[in-house]
Order: sequence, then C-alpha cells, then structure tokens
Amino acid sequence: MKHHSDIVNRLLREKLERETQATTRRHFIKSCAQGMGGLALSSIFMGCDPLSKPKPLAQNSFSERDLNPLSTLAPHYGPKVKSVIYLHMAGAPSQLEMFDYKPELHKYDGQDCPQSLLEGKKFAFIKGTPKLMGPQAEFKQEGESGNWVSNFLPHFKNVVDEVAFLKAVHTDQFNHGPAQLFMHTGSPRLGRPSIGAWATYGLGSENQNLPGFVVLTSGGNTPDAGKSVWGSGFLPSVYQGVQCRSKGDPVLYIDDPDGISRNLKKNTIDAINKINKEEYAKYADPEILARINQYEMAYRMQIAVPEVMNINNEPEHIKQMYGVEPGKESFANNCLLARKLVEDGVRFVQLFDWGWDTHGNVREGSIDMGLRNKCREIDRPMTALIMDLKQRGLLDDTLIVWGGEFGRTPMQENRGNKEMAYKGRDHHGDAFTMWMAGGGIKKGASHGATDDIGFSGIDGRVSVHDVHATILHLLGFNHEEFTYEFQGRPFRLTDVEGEIIKEILA
Amino acid sequence: MKIDIRKIPFYCWLLLFSIVIQSCQTKEIVDFNAQIKPILNKRCISCHGGVKKSGGFSLLFEEEAFAATESGEPAIIKGNASASEMIKRLHSDDPELRMPYEAKKLPAEEIELLTKWIDQGAKWGEHWAYSLPEKVEVPSFNSEASFISEDETSFLKNSIDHFILAKLSDKEISPNMPAAKNIIARRAALDIVGLPPSQSLLQQFESGSITYEAMVDTLLNDKEYGEKWATWWLDLARYADSKGYEKDMGREIWKYRDWVIDAFNSDMPYDQFTIEQLAGDLLPEPSVDQLIATAFHRNTMNNDEGGTDDEEFRVAAVIDRINTTFSVWQSTTMECVQCHSHPYDPFKHKEYFNLMAFFNNSRDEDVPSESPILKMYTPEQQMKVNEVLEWVSKYGSESIRKKYKDFLQFTEPVYKSHFFKDFKNSVYDDHASVVYWDDGSTIIENGYTEESSYVYLNYRSHYDGTQMTIRKGDANGPILGQFIINKSKNNTTSQFPIKPISEKTDIYIETQNNSVAKEVNILNLYWVGFITDLPGKEQAGWKKVNSDFMELLNTNPPTVPIMAENPEYMKRTTQLFDRGSWLTKTDTVEPGVPESLNDWNSDWPDNRLGLSKWMVDKKNPLTARTLVNRVWHQIYGRGIVSTVEDIGSQSEPPSHPALLDWLALRFMNEMNWSLKALIKEIVVSGTYRQSSESNQEMYRIDPENELYARGPRIRLGAEQIRDQALAVSGILSDKMYGPGVMPPQPDGVWQTVYNGAKWVESKGEDRYRRGVYTYLKRTSPYPSFLTFDAGSREVCTIRRTVTNTPLQALVTLNDPVYLEASYYLAKNSMDSNDVEKSIAKAYEKATFTKIEPQKLDALQELYESSLLEFKTDDTASEIFLHFEERPTPELSALTVVANAIMNLDEFLTKA
Repeated sequence: MKHHSDIVNRLLREKLERETQATTRRHFIKSCAQGMGGLALSSIFMGCDPLSKPKPLAQNSFSERDLNPLSTLAPHYGPKVKSVIYLHMAGAPSQLEMFDYKPELHKYDGQDCPQSLLEGKKFAFIKGTPKLMGPQAEFKQEGESGNWVSNFLPHFKNVVDEVAFLKAVHTDQFNHGPAQLFMHTGSPRLGRPSIGAWATYGLGSENQNLPGFVVLTSGGNTPDAGKSVWGSGFLPSVYQGVQCRSKGDPVLYIDDPDGISRNLKKNTIDAINKINKEEYAKYADPEILARINQYEMAYRMQIAVPEVMNINNEPEHIKQMYGVEPGKESFANNCLLARKLVEDGVRFVQLFDWGWDTHGNVREGSIDMGLRNKCREIDRPMTALIMDLKQRGLLDDTLIVWGGEFGRTPMQENRGNKEMAYKGRDHHGDAFTMWMAGGGIKKGASHGATDDIGFSGIDGRVSVHDVHATILHLLGFNHEEFTYEFQGRPFRLTDVEGEIIKEILA
Repeated sequence: MKIDIRKIPFYCWLLLFSIVIQSCQTKEIVDFNAQIKPILNKRCISCHGGVKKSGGFSLLFEEEAFAATESGEPAIIKGNASASEMIKRLHSDDPELRMPYEAKKLPAEEIELLTKWIDQGAKWGEHWAYSLPEKVEVPSFNSEASFISEDETSFLKNSIDHFILAKLSDKEISPNMPAAKNIIARRAALDIVGLPPSQSLLQQFESGSITYEAMVDTLLNDKEYGEKWATWWLDLARYADSKGYEKDMGREIWKYRDWVIDAFNSDMPYDQFTIEQLAGDLLPEPSVDQLIATAFHRNTMNNDEGGTDDEEFRVAAVIDRINTTFSVWQSTTMECVQCHSHPYDPFKHKEYFNLMAFFNNSRDEDVPSESPILKMYTPEQQMKVNEVLEWVSKYGSESIRKKYKDFLQFTEPVYKSHFFKDFKNSVYDDHASVVYWDDGSTIIENGYTEESSYVYLNYRSHYDGTQMTIRKGDANGPILGQFIINKSKNNTTSQFPIKPISEKTDIYIETQNNSVAKEVNILNLYWVGFITDLPGKEQAGWKKVNSDFMELLNTNPPTVPIMAENPEYMKRTTQLFDRGSWLTKTDTVEPGVPESLNDWNSDWPDNRLGLSKWMVDKKNPLTARTLVNRVWHQIYGRGIVSTVEDIGSQSEPPSHPALLDWLALRFMNEMNWSLKALIKEIVVSGTYRQSSESNQEMYRIDPENELYARGPRIRLGAEQIRDQALAVSGILSDKMYGPGVMPPQPDGVWQTVYNGAKWVESKGEDRYRRGVYTYLKRTSPYPSFLTFDAGSREVCTIRRTVTNTPLQALVTLNDPVYLEASYYLAKNSMDSNDVEKSIAKAYEKATFTKIEPQKLDALQELYESSLLEFKTDDTASEIFLHFEERPTPELSALTVVANAIMNLDEFLTKA
C-alpha cells in the first residue's frame, strides 16, 4: 500500500504541477495559484511536518472568474451554437405514435407477438408472449426529407426539414427518476452536474443580468428526479439552473420592499458582499463565493427577469403562433419564454413538461387519449419555437434538443386478467426517438433505425453519452477534455464513454 | 507533561500508523467486493442481472453466477479462466459474441482482474452492507497514548476521534484547532435545538461556569430539541397537512407531528420508536399515543379525485409504505424490486411481495374520510368510553371488549361504500357513499355480521319514512331486518335490529319510499357495520350503556388517521404482481423478509409487529447503520456513507467503515438506542469541535470534508433560517403543538382547484411559530421553504438537495417575514446615541460574534447612506416600516442594516 500510494502521490503531484503551469481557467487551481502557487500545494501531497502546513488565512483569495463566474469564455474550438434549449418530456413520450413509424406493427395489433420477432430479443419486464399494439396514430412522410411524422403533430410536420432525428437512442435506466438523472447528468445517481450546469460552467453567460441557466416547468408537476436534474453537482453552486415560474411573479419576492430604492438595495448588497468576502478569506468555503455572486445576480435579476419573463409585450401574431395562454403555466408560454431568454443571452434553457407517462391506467395517461392531448399541447409551440428562432436569425446560434428519459414498448402494457378502458405502453429504454435542430445540425437528417416492431435499434444506435458528447461538441467542447477536478480525479459529463454523432452534424 | 498532539513531528505519526499501513499492503488475492463487483455492476449487470438474464446468465446472486446458462454450461468455471465462456467472450473478435455486447471492449486491466479472480477460484463475497461485525476495535494509540493530554486544545475527545485521526494520519493531514467558544456554542445549539443558544446559556459556557458537555446536556433537554429533530424525521415520514394528488384536500394529522416531537424530547429508544410507528396498533393494549404513532404510514397520499379507483390508490399507498419503510430504516431502494429482482442489490422480485404481505392487511382503503381515524375524545367523553368498556369487561369477554374499544376509538371494521355491488336504482357516489333512490338496492358481497342482533348504519337521510329491508343473499333471500329511516341532516350512526346469522353471506339492502319521486336521492349510505352484541342485556343499566355507546359513535371530536389491521374475515391475500402491475396478479405469497438480511425469529408474529421487531433486531445489518449515518449527515452535511439514501452495492463506500460499524454497534448495545446519547457522542467529539476555518488547499484536497480535518460548515435548512431570524429578533413564539399555522405568504401561491380552501393568515403569536408548525399543503408548500430546498413531502425525502441560488437572496432580502424580523432586531439593538454600538449589538445578537472593524465599517457605511435616504424622503421610511407609527429615519436605517446582517453568509450558515 505504502509504495503504491507513493506512486499515486507522485502521479498526482505531477498532474497538479502540469495543471498549475498550464494556465487553464477551468480549474480552480488557478485561483489558488495566485495566493500560494504550486509549492504549497505539492507540499500537501509530499507530506511534511503538519506544523509547517501553510495556512495564512488571508491567502484565501479569488480569481476574476470566481468573482464573475458567468463571464463569457471561449470553448475548446469554434462553437456551432451559443445557447441550448432543451425540451424534456418528463414521463417518456411514445416514439411509436410520434416519429418512429412501424407499419409492421399494425399487422400484429392485438395479437400475440410472433416468435420470429421475439427471437434473439432481450426483454425487460415481459414474460411469456406479450400482445403487440399497432401505432395508434397515422403517419405520413413529410417535407423534402420525407421523414415520418404522425398526425398527432399536425404543425410539427411543417418544420420537419429543420430537424435531425435520432431514431435509436438507448438508455439502461427504466425508472423515471434515475432515467431523468441519467439523461441530464450522465449518471443515474445523485451528485453529478447537469448538462446545463456544465454548459454554463464552461461558457459563462452572455447576459450578466440573467442566470446562465434557466429552468421552466409545465404540465402541473416537476420532474420525478427533483431539482437534481438541473443541479450543479460538484461544480460550484452558481452554475445550477434557476427555476422561474411562468405564472404569477416569475420569481417570488422579485420586487423591492416599499420604500427601498434601488440605490439602497445596491448599497445593502455591497455591504453584504464586502463582509462575505472577509468571511471567505477566513473559511475558504466555495459556497461563500457562490453566495457573493448570487447576491449580485439577484440584484440584477430584479430588473432583468420581470422584463424578459413578460410575454404580454409580444405582438399578437407571435402569441398566436405559439398559442400562449398568458397568466397560466403552459408549455407554450415556456417555449416563447425560451426564445426570449436565449435572445437575451441565456446560455441554457431547460424546459420540463410533465405528464407523458402513458401506461394506460388513467385517461390522461393513455396512448389513445392522453398522449394525443399532450401532443396537442406541445405541437404548435415547439413548431413555433423553431420558426420564430429562424425568422430572427437565431436558429443558427441555438441548439434545440427534444426527448424524454426513455421510450415505450411496442407491446401493449400487460392487461392480463382485466380489460382496461385505455391503451398503454410500458417503459422501454432499448430504442426511442430524440431530435435536434439548430446550428450545426444537418437539416432533415434521420439517423438510426429500429427493427420491424420498433423494439430494438438495428442501425445507428446512440447512447445518452453520445447525445451529451454531441451537445457539448456543438457548444465547442471536446467532451473528453472538458473535465472538472473533483476529489482528486477529473470528471466529465460523459464519464468514460460517448461518441459524437457525426451523422446528424451539418 | 502536557503535549499538544499537533506538535508531534510527523515521523511519530508514521511510526504510530505503521501498523495500519502494514495491514493495507496489497496482497495478490483479488478482492471480490472491492475489485470485481464494481466491474460486474458497471459492465455486465444491466444485461446479466436483476432485470435481464440474457443468455440465462446473471451475475446478481452467487448461485446464478455459477449455474448453467442457456448453453447448458456455466459461464464461469471456478479456477479455470481460460475455460470460462465469460472470459472467452471478453476477448472475442466476433462482434456477435464479444461482451459487453454492442459496447466497447473492456480495458485490459479489467479483463486481467476478472481472469485472475476466476483463476483464484472465483470466490464470491458478501457485500459489507449485508452483515454487521460483532465487534469493532477502536484504533488505539498504544503506550504512546500518554502524550494525549486533557488539554482544552487536544483533539482526542472520544473514540470517534480515534477513527478520524487514524485516517487523517494515513493521509498525513492534521486536524484543525478547536473552534472558539462562541462559535462552537452556536454550532452545537443549531445542531441540537435548531436555534441559536440563549444568551444566558452562552454566558454560562463562555464564563466557564458550565462545561461544554453540560451545555450540550442542557440543549438536549430543551423542548426545542424535539422540534428540531422532528423536522428531519417528518421529511422521512412524508408528513404534510394535506392528502396530495390532484384534489389535495386538507388532512388532520398534526397529532402525529406532535407525537414525533414528544418522542424525541422523551428520548424514546429508537427500537421502540420504530415499533410504535410501524406497528403500534398491534401491540397488546395499545395506548392512544401508540395508535397515533402508526400515523407514520398514514402520511401516504389519498386520492379523492372523482372516478379514481380506491383499490388502485390503496395499493399505491401500500407500495409507498414498503418503499418508505425500506428507505427509512434500511437505506434500500425497494422501488425496483416491485417489477423485477433488484438490478444491483441482492433482493428478489418475489421478496417484494413477501414484504407487501405485511402491509397489505391494513383497514384503510383510500376513502375520503381516511378511515380508520382515531377519535381524540374529550375527558368527559373518554369517561363514558371507559364506562362502556368496563361494562363489556364485566359481562363479556376480553375479545369482545377489544372489539368495542376499537369500534369506539376508530369505528372499524365496517363495510364502506366501495364494498357494494349490483346497484339498482342506486349509485356509487364517488368514494364516499352509495346513493339510494326509491326501490333502490345493492349487495355487499360475502359479508359477515358477527352474529350481531343489530346492523349499524352511517348515513344522511333526506326524507322521512324510508323503509330499508336487509335480506340474506339477494332480493329473494330471507329478510334479516326491516325498519324505517327518517330524515337526518347530518351524518348519523344508528343501530337497527336484525336477525342474527353466523355464516358469511351476501347482504342485500333495499330502500322503499313511495312518497318520493323516482330517481331522487333519498339516502346517502356511508357504511354498514356489525359488532358482536353488547353483553349483559338482561342486566339493569344495559339500555343506558347502549345509548351511551350510540351517543359516542355520533360524536365528532378531532381525529388522526391510524393503521388498524383487518379482522380475519376481511383479510386480503397477497399475490405477486406481474411486471409490477397491480391488475395482473399471479402467485399468492406469505409475509417474509429478504433472505440476504438477518434471519426471521419464529417467535415473531407474521405481521407488521414482527416486521418491526425484525427491523430492530440487533442482527439487522442496516437499521442502526442507517440511523447513525443519517444523524451524522444531519450534523456534518455528509454521511459516513455519502449516499445516505442507499447503503448497498450501489452506494459509495463509507469514508470510515470501522467508525460506521462501531457507532452502529455502540448505538444499539451501549446507548440502548438512545438518540440523545448518539447526538451527544457526535457533538462532544474533538472532530466536531474543530474550527471550520480553512483554506483553498484543504478545499481542494477534501472538498466535501470527508476526512474531517475541519469542523462542519453548512447552510442552515429552510425552517432553521426562518426560525433563527425570528429568534434573534426576539419575536419567535415558543408555543408548541396543534394544527398547522399559516404565517404570511404572497397572494396567489395557493391554487386550489376544488375545495376553496384558503390560506388564512394566522393571527398573534401563530405568525411567529417555528417552521415545523407551518401548514404544509403538498401541491403548494410554504414558498420560502421551497426556495431553501424543503420539499413537498409527497413521498419520503431522505435528503434535501442543498442549493445556493439568487432566489434565496430575494427571500431573505424582500420577504416581509425577514423585514419584520430585521425591524425587531434593529429595535432591540438600538442604542439611542451610539450608531456603532447599535450595529455591533445587532450583529452580535445575530451571529454570536464580536464585530470586526472592517465589517463594522461596511455596515456603518450602509447605515449612513440609508439614513441619508430616509432623511431626504421620510415617506419612504414610513411605507417601509409599517409596523409602528412613524418610525424614525434612524430606526429605518438600522433596520436596513439588520436586514443586511440577516443576509450574511455567516448568519445563513452553521460554521
């Protein structure tokens, strides 16, 4: 153990020294370097008389980036987009009623799944011979690309040539919470930063008056996995998503108390932060730095947020285009807000729309009724979002990502002993559809294919890590080099996996 | 001679710990848990584990791993890697054969490890989490230990510190200096009672008139202790004041919250605390408190929405109880096992349903009344209850007395409206009742009348003269009873004579009222009940007792939902759900516990009581570890196992494995499950008492403080932040218990679809109660608590995600609650002629620290600029501080300063 740890220490030391020398802004080491440099650092790893451990408290200084963590930064290489709008359908939408057309599946509707199709398939939950359920929507090939879109999405077919489909995405998680965490943090367990936090950490924000990462929810509920899907994990807290409300005050207590002028509020925050900086010098707790930044952000947000979150000032034709319902919490409102936010330089806008879990146990959660309604809720706004960004010349600077945490089975959810009123499909992670649109995306592309019943990917399978690698690539990051040092080892969003999906890149 | 351990040169440390180091020398034997299991979990188990067994091969359980696969041969041949299909497949060049399928080839070193492991005999290891050692040695410092002084500054205060120091020394890091007295007093008070210490306690401690230990004891004996720790437990118990789901109607269950507070304050041993909450109703002669304790599992959501199936949501509640029980007591996620064997941990699909069998026989059935609900009788009513029960004891048997006691306490067992079938001119009216028209009828299938001479009905009758006929079997069956029901505006419980029968049978109920038009609601029937006859009918006084009994059944005192078990004739069988769907049931299962955990003792009853005894059996490897890990997490912001929700093969390994086990054993064996003793042990340690001052290097080396080379420094919880603001400004109410209160919150936060319930702002001291008493509506919890990471408590919350957002700044800067607190802090600190003194006083009241010059300067500057503004515009002052008549500009300015103080990191943080 001893000689083993010697080697580890030596390697670590060498690595640290390399990093200190390289003036990489991405490591907090730089902030230390101002105060103490490599010598003091290495002394910790070399072992020394504990008494000589250097800890003059005043040396807890901070870098420019610490004090302005959202300052704009250049990525690894030429980015294709400046911002991301990620539309997540929480609960997992059925690819088989929206994009992945399986005419063969019609033939077997209501029948036992034929053995020829079952052979060689790996089944998650199903025992015996399940019954297949044909597509509950009608499909047509749309646009120049001829990509399939169902009649559940009558508006979306008009922008089908703008998007690139991934038809064979897979995940190894099959419960909502872990699968959502996996989709947004690259790990099914708590503790990792979300993709929005990574993006904001890497690039900062183009608007210093708004958070770099904004979260909006609709559908009456927040994702099963909770705040962690927009959390910052081990990245500094300042990079976590800030959830705004699309109904009522966008943020509670956004207004100053009566009688308190802006000037007085400014002075108050200055005094708080002056003292908090003293506190940091003593404790070195990075949370203090985050708090200093959050107080400044709060002050600026008080003006900027009510402005950007007000959709009433939009012209009538834009409101109609999205189908917004001012004063309510809706996916349509959130899509319009997303456009306004990226227009104002917000780096990452995350939308969660809840209510896509269509097991068939209740009307709202059914493939035949509930899914259709959910599609209706998103169809017009997500189409408008693409068209609106395009007409403003923003689509080339923005990446839109659409998807759920997994897909749904071609089999009807097991109805065994009792006839159910509604049709449903079970959770299914082996193959589902996502799409991307915007800068750097090959318009009208479709990558990957599933087998005849839409159960498994047979071509162009891509993993959640691949999706992440591609998003980071479009933001200008090499996902293998974009790391954060934590507990002595570098972490990445894509862990040790992920390949860029070149097939959908322009 | 006293020696400060910090002054020992490092070579001494090396000497001391050479034994530790030697024992860590790498041997060539591959360790299954440390080296192999992680590879299997990461690379193999998603296809060869609990969910899928591709090729008939699974690596989840030992017997499966070495069993024959679909090919007929085992994939692993012990002692012969080159003959093992598993290893061959890792090397294969054929993409159809090579494993992992459709993924990258394993790194060479992983293949090498797997090969070595198989060649060495493929020894399977039990995961550490599923067995607890009998004894753990505290790392000792041998004869050299004499250098450890009793000096105030010495680090080693108790055994915890030995474990911590052992690892620190291993890492060649020395612990921090102890925190200053004022700092440690504030820290300990915030951890123990959730509030800053009182000035008098602080003075006693600072002056040396009481020791640190004595201060800790005082805090542990404060009644605020129970409130602080209840806040934590209520997250686990998913306690809320509403039922959840779409309707989210109010629920009267605060008695349970008060029970938790009292249980903590009286330091109820954790084993008893566990048993009473899981199975208080099954204890012999349960007390009222023991019944209230069982409300733990009545905090499940209840769906009152129209058209929902009561059975579906009853099952959902049962599933939640299994999952919550295992999350709370075993750090185990059972959710997965509902549909298939656990993907990673050694729990089998069937075992989920064995567990379900424990929970599947409680009387609650997702009805709007939430029955069974325990009636909290007034003392006068209770006297009557006792008289009735004494009568039953005197003339009847013990078992009859038990029936009457239950019936008077919670009116069960009864047949509620969803038992009814075959509706004719009658309709099941959304969960609660059956509506009858003229010539209406229904059937209760397979009912049992307890051979009673009476039927008990709970109803609202809208007309006089309804004739009800009760028949055995069906419309043509013999009449058991026939009687007239008259108009009653309110819900009424009445008894009507019937002919006693002994067998189980369908019970046919019919209504006739010719004077009422067709298809008009003449009667809402809520439930039908039977109870063995009140004995002693031939005795004088029977009539009076019977009428008292009926009177008590018609009282409506406050209630709390509780658990009660089905009588034999209502027992449900538990069946496996195919793929987790409650509609597709297969094999019948019996109650049982997972094989991989401790054994079942045949003396235990096969019910929740037995299950709770199994849980607190000293052989259970997870109960005590879970508890000590979570208490540790509450105090340090990090568990010894950092994944506090999960101790198992997917969890992080413990930072200090021996400490975890030692504390768990000590908690059970020496502390006799005393939570106060455990908390004391942790907070009197030298580890806890370290200063949390640090530097960037240390944050770099140990960002999460898992080595404990500094004291804990974590942001306060949502309730604590508000409690503390009210406390330091002198306006916190110390009123305990009672229904949830509604302090001011912004308009429009409550969106209630159905019941028109309003947030009625509390008056008087109820505005200033501790956060634990704030009314919690699941669909819209108190907003500032949400901003500071409290949850909606729809399901069990093991840990709150701690965030640091600008939205929090807006709460403490702009929420009227904090402005009011700031105002009172300013007012109580105001020294008429000395601004500096006023500021220093306000700062010290809030932070328990003397103000430093730079901080004073910053605040004084703020004061001056505020004063100038308020002097220039004195209406500003007035509208800002609308609490009193005409505040002076000086008081307004000091209020701004006080508000800044309440926004300081040091105020919001336990340091």
